[in-house]
Amino acid sequence: MGKAYINKIEVDFNDGDTILETASSVQIKIPTLCKHPDLSPTGGCGICVVKIEGTNKMLRACCTKIEDGMKIITHDPEIVEIRRTVIELILSDHPNDCLICGRNNNCELQTIVADFGIREESFEKIVKEIPQDKSTGTIKLEPSKCIKCGRCIEVCQDIQNVWALSFLERGINTRMAPAGDIQLKDSPCVRCGQCSAHCPTGAIFEHDHTREVWAELQNPDMHCIVQIAPSVRVAVGEGFGYAPGENLTNKLYAALRRLGFNTVFDTNFSADVTIMEEASEFVERFVHKKGVLPLITTCCPAWVDFMEKFHTDIIPHFSSAKSPQEIMGTLCKTYYAEKKGIDPSKIRVISIMPCTAKKYEISRSNEMFASGYQSTDFVLTTRELIRMIKQAGIDFNFIEGEEPDNLMGDYSGAGTIFGVTGGVMEAALRTAHHFITGNKLEKVEFENVRGLDGVKETSVEISGNILKIVVAHGLGNVEYVLNKVKEAKDKGKEIPYHFIEVMACSGGCIGGGGQPYGVTDEIRKARAKGLYSDDKNSEVRCSHENPFIKQLYKEFLGEPLSEKAHHLLHTKYVPRPEYKK
Amino acid sequence: MSKLTLDSFKNKSKKAKKNNTNFIKVGLSTCGIAAGADTVFNVLKEELKKKEINVPVLRCGCAGMCYAEPLVEVKIEGMPWIIYGKVNEDVALKIIRKHVARKQVINDYIFSIKDE
Amino acid sequence: MQNQKKIILVKDTNMDKETSSMIDKFLFGLRERGLSEDVKVIRAADLNIYNKGVVVKIWPENITYANVKKDDIDLIIHRTVENGKNIDELLVSETNKQLRIVLRNCGIIDPEKIDDYLDNEGYCALAKVLSEYSPDEVIEQMKISGLRGRGGGGFPTWMKWNFAKAQKEETKYIICNADEGDPGAYMDRSVLEGDPHSVIEGMIIAGYTVGAQKGYLYIRAEYPLAIKRITLAINQAREKGLLGDNILGTDFSFDLDVRLGAGAFVCGEETALIASIEGKRGCPSPRPPYPSVNGLWGKPTIINNVETLANIAPILHNGGDWFASIGTEKSKGTKVFALTGKVNNSSLIEVPMGTTLRDIVYNIGGGVLNNKKIKAVQTGGPSGGVIPENLLDTSIDYENLQRLGSIMGSGGMIVMDEDDCMVDIAKFYLQFCVDESCGKCAPCRIGGKQMLNILSNISEGKGDLEDISSLKRISQALQKASLCGLGQTAPNPVVSTLKHFEEEYIEHINEKICRAKKCSLLSIYEIIEEKCKRCSLCQRSCPVEAINGNREVGFTIDQEKCIKCGKCFEVCKFEAVSL
Repeated sequence: MGKAYINKIEVDFNDGDTILETASSVQIKIPTLCKHPDLSPTGGCGICVVKIEGTNKMLRACCTKIEDGMKIITHDPEIVEIRRTVIELILSDHPNDCLICGRNNNCELQTIVADFGIREESFEKIVKEIPQDKSTGTIKLEPSKCIKCGRCIEVCQDIQNVWALSFLERGINTRMAPAGDIQLKDSPCVRCGQCSAHCPTGAIFEHDHTREVWAELQNPDMHCIVQIAPSVRVAVGEGFGYAPGENLTNKLYAALRRLGFNTVFDTNFSADVTIMEEASEFVERFVHKKGVLPLITTCCPAWVDFMEKFHTDIIPHFSSAKSPQEIMGTLCKTYYAEKKGIDPSKIRVISIMPCTAKKYEISRSNEMFASGYQSTDFVLTTRELIRMIKQAGIDFNFIEGEEPDNLMGDYSGAGTIFGVTGGVMEAALRTAHHFITGNKLEKVEFENVRGLDGVKETSVEISGNILKIVVAHGLGNVEYVLNKVKEAKDKGKEIPYHFIEVMACSGGCIGGGGQPYGVTDEIRKARAKGLYSDDKNSEVRCSHENPFIKQLYKEFLGEPLSEKAHHLLHTKYVPRPEYKK
Repeated sequence: MSKLTLDSFKNKSKKAKKNNTNFIKVGLSTCGIAAGADTVFNVLKEELKKKEINVPVLRCGCAGMCYAEPLVEVKIEGMPWIIYGKVNEDVALKIIRKHVARKQVINDYIFSIKDE
Repeated sequence: MQNQKKIILVKDTNMDKETSSMIDKFLFGLRERGLSEDVKVIRAADLNIYNKGVVVKIWPENITYANVKKDDIDLIIHRTVENGKNIDELLVSETNKQLRIVLRNCGIIDPEKIDDYLDNEGYCALAKVLSEYSPDEVIEQMKISGLRGRGGGGFPTWMKWNFAKAQKEETKYIICNADEGDPGAYMDRSVLEGDPHSVIEGMIIAGYTVGAQKGYLYIRAEYPLAIKRITLAINQAREKGLLGDNILGTDFSFDLDVRLGAGAFVCGEETALIASIEGKRGCPSPRPPYPSVNGLWGKPTIINNVETLANIAPILHNGGDWFASIGTEKSKGTKVFALTGKVNNSSLIEVPMGTTLRDIVYNIGGGVLNNKKIKAVQTGGPSGGVIPENLLDTSIDYENLQRLGSIMGSGGMIVMDEDDCMVDIAKFYLQFCVDESCGKCAPCRIGGKQMLNILSNISEGKGDLEDISSLKRISQALQKASLCGLGQTAPNPVVSTLKHFEEEYIEHINEKICRAKKCSLLSIYEIIEEKCKRCSLCQRSCPVEAINGNREVGFTIDQEKCIKCGKCFEVCKFEAVSL
């Protein structure tokens, strides 16, 4: 704790706080293009410079720790002029493509240029043409728009521990690229999209599939089914001025119908299916000792990709249950098609996801075609959906909410919390408890697995058995968990966990790489809160209690882990060594 | 090599200079070598051997006079202590044949006279 | 020997013809007096006294006369050679302008033999420190000495050490920054090649003082001989018990390792250097935290440059007072410079702080090459600036150089004459910084490039007056908003040439003239009618058919078409093409 002065305003601060953080506590915004609240400062952009009274030097507010008695000036004509020059310099190395850029109206560089009222370009344009990298079909790199803030690289290396992106070359030739200057698809990239979510400009962007989806919607021969992922409902509103976390499920259903979807389903329903399968799988392994423990969740495709690249030795631990997206796709083209008598080849399943890796998941292995067709046809991120709604002229803010379509639209509270870290674990525990004990849970909440701590280790008791569990999110946090498992294995010690949940992105899907821009821990908390309220307000809070789930098993699948369920709803994993070329 | 201790430095005389002996010294740092000092070094040694003169040819670092590399410092009793510069093979031979063997100073290649 | 032979050494730096006639006169005079047998006359190439006419040295008395005229010769022979009396008017009190502390052993000892170093008071300071001084007492001596970092910044060395010493960490590191990279600078290389143990001794003492157990020498890989000698020296020191466990039989243990730099100039910046040793991309990080608090692998780390470390042993051997008695009020001791450029004696020199630039150029460097007019002296390498002729009497210290818009830097010193164009010089240094920018921060990455483009335009005659204000504006942004020293100082060559030579910029812009004729695109090639023999070679050589005329009427150059390639100038055998 200490006292300092910013623009003569007395401020209290905690040891280790930066000038930038402290300034914001007294409503002073120091502009920056490189510092992101999720990431440690790099000092790359040079815009956040401030003065210490009585010295001639300028310091970076983003990375300078505030000290007791410091007298800081954040804005004076000289500082503003320096900032303006630096911004103009950055602008001179940035293409003037704003009008046709994916980040138009949502770009941090554009905003700062507008705020500074820059009306002419003082310096010669020196933009280098660097080819785009569209190789993954999920994330598009457009290095010529990169301002070298380093956020993508930091998130890829430090937060996700993937090390796909790095800076290449030096000086004015510095560019962001897959390490080794290979194509992104051949790199260790797991398509989590955190780079795109943290990029201040349009240099890293989701591969846009809205045109393809529009085409399907226009095709009268096609029966278009849409599914929305759990976390989309609490984030989509940010595109329309709603506060983060506002649950807009029913508005979404209405908007999707107006877009032209014939059937509106909810991924929350298929999340319930995933739980039925996964919880059964867990019970098999835990109670009946069939298969290895710990069991590891697999709904996150970036995590699956990460494991297939870096940790192939733990494949036997992976739950073979497909992700909710894939289960929905498969069931649409089998169960639903049969029931409604629609030719599955005329069905198009489009999913709205918080995630860029989901675009990769739909064709990642043969099992994704178990319905006889590619089970999910297109994936749109939350950001793409927001654009489509706007393009369609739908006044989202005032549209009346609607209900989903029958059969696979209704969900339990367990399904909805899939979208937040710890949610899959909590949902699975609710059902596993029932499968093991046959009883109804008194209290369905497992608070220990909630929250934004990177690794959450805890245990629960189910009829006398201690169940050791761990939840990790942000791929950089996986290492700790896996090391513990591997160490126990190597030394023949007792396994440290029975059940592990991993989500690639910080906060889980609510912080996904395809969500609206500007995510911070504050926003993550708000979105998580939205999902937990949805759960709390649900009549049915356990997957196995969802009447439509019961119907599905009764009419179509039989039992969880039945042969049919295995064929349609389970998948396999294979080692995919990195650096293929 | 035996290890030194603090005691090894206790009774050390101020400077164990060996100034009175004759020697030839060649600047063999990058600057000198680039100018050809290693050839000069070898020529000096061979010529001394041939002439059976017993004067040590020593190695040293850069004396700073880059403009005059290669530098050869010659200290022979009864002669000025001279630093010859821009020494090539030819001058190197002269240093042995004239300066060392016959005590004659060589014209045009003196770049410095050292004080005793 | 009854009458020891005398030798008269004669040198005139400037006029060789004069010298030989002087020598003839000496020979003649000696013969006349029958002294030819006993007194030899020798032509010296250099007697290290400059701008004082003909210099004559008489051996073995070591009498030196300067400004010797022909008429003085008889007197010299009579008075001095025959009668052993001095001629006071001619006598030079041979003041050696140099003082060698850092270079004390360079060119004297064999750098590959530790015994040579030991014979020259080597490791005496270490022994003294280990037996007599507590770490605090070492710091005290360092504080008294007033030694400041020789890598460029001039930060008091004792303070750096004290910060690291104050850290309550078990593990600490000492790093020797030998990633010397300024164009034309080779001070560190010479020390490492000529006297490696002096650096090692400094590092061990630093280690003892701050409580470090391990040190790294970060040397650029382009210095193979320095690497070889320092590695050899480390091994020898280890065998002698000067490195490793229980140094000199005490409780103190310290060891050294060599790490090679891969040629990035920015790795001389301490945080980038640390990143490089850690195996990361060599990019600077924000400071604070300073390495002395949070350095290599997060541990307190002292980074000193080679020259700073080579000063340590003499300071502790002779006492801080002794060191503080040398130099100026705020800059103590000596400084090594690599004196290059348009100077007669390109050399590595060491002078007390406070020596004037003019003294260095004329009395040590022997004056300007080809007797041309000096325009400026550049100090501080790419981070420094130019000091114009009228300020050469400034005495060198950290503050003075900074006041003039340059810096001490690591010790590059380049003499520039009237053939050097200040726009071109600024462009050269800026190009260097643009090439060496790591690219991490926007001001340096883009600002440097933009400034370079503007300078190129000016040097090609495409500039306008607004460019000067743009240069100043970007310079300020770089100085204030760059992340590390490289970017913060990269505009200095531009700022200082603009400060002292703005008129040259304006000439380039308004009149499209480069007075030094360096900016080739501004040169105007013309055919001098009187000299032209009408051979037509120029016309046939011109790649763009810019030369009109024929062998009947003569030739002229069409300035509109001319691309200033200089081909006509090159091929003309009659010097009939003017520049």
